[in-house]
Amino acid sequence: VGSTFDSLMLGFSVALQPGVLWYAFLGCVVGTLVGVLPGIGPLSGISILLPVTFGLDATKAIVMLAGIYYGSQYGGSTTSILMRIPGEASSVMTCIDGYAMAKKGRAGSALCIAAVGSWIAGTFGVLMLTVIAPPLAAFALKFGPPEYTALLVLGLIFLAYMSSTSLPRTLLMAAVGILLGTIGTDMTGHFRYSFDISELGDGIGIVPVAVGLFGLGEILSTPSASVTGQVLTPKMRELLPTREEWRQSAMPIARGSILGFLIGLTPGSAHIISSFLSYAVERRFSKHPEEFGHGAVAGVAGPESANNAASTGAFVPMLALGLPTGPITAVLMAALMIHGIPPGPTLVSDHPDVFWGFVASMYVGNVMLLALNLPLVGIFVNVLRIPYSYLYPLVIMFCIIGVYTVNNSVVDVWIMLIMGVLGYVLRKFSLDPAPLVLGLVISPTFELSLRQSLIMSNGDYLIFFQRPIALVLMVIAATLLTLSGISLLRKRADWRAKLAEAEAGEPSA
Amino acid sequence: MILRTDHVAGGVAIAAGLLVWAASGDLPFGRLSMPGAGMLPKLCCSLMILLGLVLIVRAGDSAPFSTIEWGDLRHAVPVVVLTAVAVALYTTLGFIITFSLLMFGLLAIERRNLIAAAAYSVGVSVGTDVLFSIVLKSPLEAGLLGF
Repeated sequence: VGSTFDSLMLGFSVALQPGVLWYAFLGCVVGTLVGVLPGIGPLSGISILLPVTFGLDATKAIVMLAGIYYGSQYGGSTTSILMRIPGEASSVMTCIDGYAMAKKGRAGSALCIAAVGSWIAGTFGVLMLTVIAPPLAAFALKFGPPEYTALLVLGLIFLAYMSSTSLPRTLLMAAVGILLGTIGTDMTGHFRYSFDISELGDGIGIVPVAVGLFGLGEILSTPSASVTGQVLTPKMRELLPTREEWRQSAMPIARGSILGFLIGLTPGSAHIISSFLSYAVERRFSKHPEEFGHGAVAGVAGPESANNAASTGAFVPMLALGLPTGPITAVLMAALMIHGIPPGPTLVSDHPDVFWGFVASMYVGNVMLLALNLPLVGIFVNVLRIPYSYLYPLVIMFCIIGVYTVNNSVVDVWIMLIMGVLGYVLRKFSLDPAPLVLGLVISPTFELSLRQSLIMSNGDYLIFFQRPIALVLMVIAATLLTLSGISLLRKRADWRAKLAEAEAGEPSA
Repeated sequence: MILRTDHVAGGVAIAAGLLVWAASGDLPFGRLSMPGAGMLPKLCCSLMILLGLVLIVRAGDSAPFSTIEWGDLRHAVPVVVLTAVAVALYTTLGFIITFSLLMFGLLAIERRNLIAAAAYSVGVSVGTDVLFSIVLKSPLEAGLLGF
C-alpha cells in the first residue's frame, strides 16, 4: 500500500505539471464534444487527433487521448437527455429515462445526476485501476509466448461471447482483422500481400482502418436528413436535483460503478454492455419498476455510472497485460507504441512516470469533467444546433488530415476510404467492425507468440495445455466457446439479443 | 428460397477466403515445428471459409436481403466519390484548395445556400491550415500553387 501511495504521489507530481494539466483539459473538452455530437464516437475522435499528439511526449499524448475517451462518456449523456439521441453508443439506455425526465422539466436534474454519477464511477474506476493494475502487471511478467497466445485466444473468444451479434459473425470479423494484420513484412522477411506497394511493406495501420470503419463509415450511413431533433435547454437553476432524487440515485450509482468496472475488464464493447446491464439490474432492484421508461432517476444514474466505470476498467488489461479489450484501447495502445512505450507488464516498472502520471491524470480529469459538464452544458448544447450537413464535411476533413498526417501517406487515406465503404457495407449486413479492428491490433503479437510457442515445443501444440497459466486460459476459452455454441444452437433470445436491439437504437422501456 | 443477408455475407467470406488463399501461393506454410510466413494467413483463410459456410447454413435467422434499406446510398455515393477525388488531388492541389472544393461540393449536394457554403468551405479550410501550421506546428500539404 505504501509503495502504491508513493507511486501515486509520483503520478500526481507528473499530472499536476501545467503542460500535462493543459492536455488533460483539452482531452476532456474534446471528449465531451465528441460525446455530445451524434455520429462521432470516441474511437473516431481519438483516431483523428492521434497525429496531433506526435509532437508531444508520451505522457501528455496518452493523457489527452484517454481524456477524450472518458470525456465522451460524460458528454454522451447530454444528447440522450436533451434530444433522445445517444451522442455515443453507451448512452443509448440513458435516452429512455433521461429524456422522459427532461420532458417532465427535470432535464437539469438528470444532467446533474448523470455528471455526478459519472464522476463517482470514474473516480472509483481509477481507484481500482490504481490497486489492481500493478500486481496484475507483476503477475503477467511470468507470461511466455504460450501464455500470450492463450491470452489472446481467450480475448477473442470472450469478445465473441460478449458480442451482441452472433459467434460466427464476431469470429469472422476477427479473422478478417487478423488477416489484414498479416499484410507486410513478416518476422522472416517475407513480403505478404504488398502487391509492390512500398507503403504496404510496413503493414496496414490501425488509424486508417479505425477511422475508416468507424468515422467515415458512420458518416456514410447517416444522411443529414436523418439527423434532426429538438434540443431541450435546461435552466441553470434546475440543475440541482431534489433530496429525493439524490436518495434514489445513490445506490444505482454505487451498483453501476462496481458492475461497470468489472465488465470493463473484459473484452468487448464493455462501456455499451455495462450501461445495458446496469439498466436491467436497476429495473430488477427497483421497488417501482413501472417507473422505468417514464423518468426513473435510477434509469439515468445506473447506466451513466456504469459506462464511465467500464471505460476506466478497460485500461486495466491494456496497461497491465498489453491486451486491448476493444478498438478504443487498441488505438490508445498504438498511441503509446508510436511514442516508443510498449504497454504491458513492463510499463509500470520501466516507465513509472508515464503509468502513474496517466493514472493520476484520470483523477484530475474526472474532476475537470464534473466542472465542465454542469456549468457549461449550455455551451455544449449550442454545438448541437450546428446543422449536421455543415458538420459532417468538417468531420471528413479531419478524418483525412488525421490519417494522412500519421505517415504523410496518401495510400493510408485510400485505405481509410476503402475501410469507410467496408464499414458502411458491414452495417448493412449487421456485422460489427469492432472485432476486425481488434484482430488487426493483436495480429502481430498473436502471430509472433504462436510461432515462437510452436518453435519452443518443436511443433507440439500441447504446449498450450501443459503450462498451468496457459492451460487455465485455454480452459476458460473452451468453456466460453461451448456456452456460445449452446446459445447458438438453442436460438434463444438472451441478453445479447436485447443488447443488439438497444445498439440498433430501438431501446424499449 | 429467400435470399438472406447471411447468404450474401457468407458467400462473400468464402470468396474472399479462397481469393486470399490463391494469392498466398508463394508464401511457405512451413512445418508445425517451424511455421512459415503463410501459416497464419492460410489459417485465417480457412477460418473465413468455415465461418462463411456456417453463416450460409444458419442464414435462416438473418433478415431477407431485400429488406436492407439502401436509401442512404444517395448520400453515401456522392460523399465517397467527392472524397476519392479530393484524395487523388490532395498532394497536387494542396490542403486549402482541395478541402475548400471538397467541402463546397459536399454542401452543394446537401442543397445548402451556395454563397454560405463557399464562405464556410474557404473559411474552415484556411482556419484549419492556420491552426495546424501555426498553433500545432504541423504544416499541412502545400500544392502546386505553394499553399
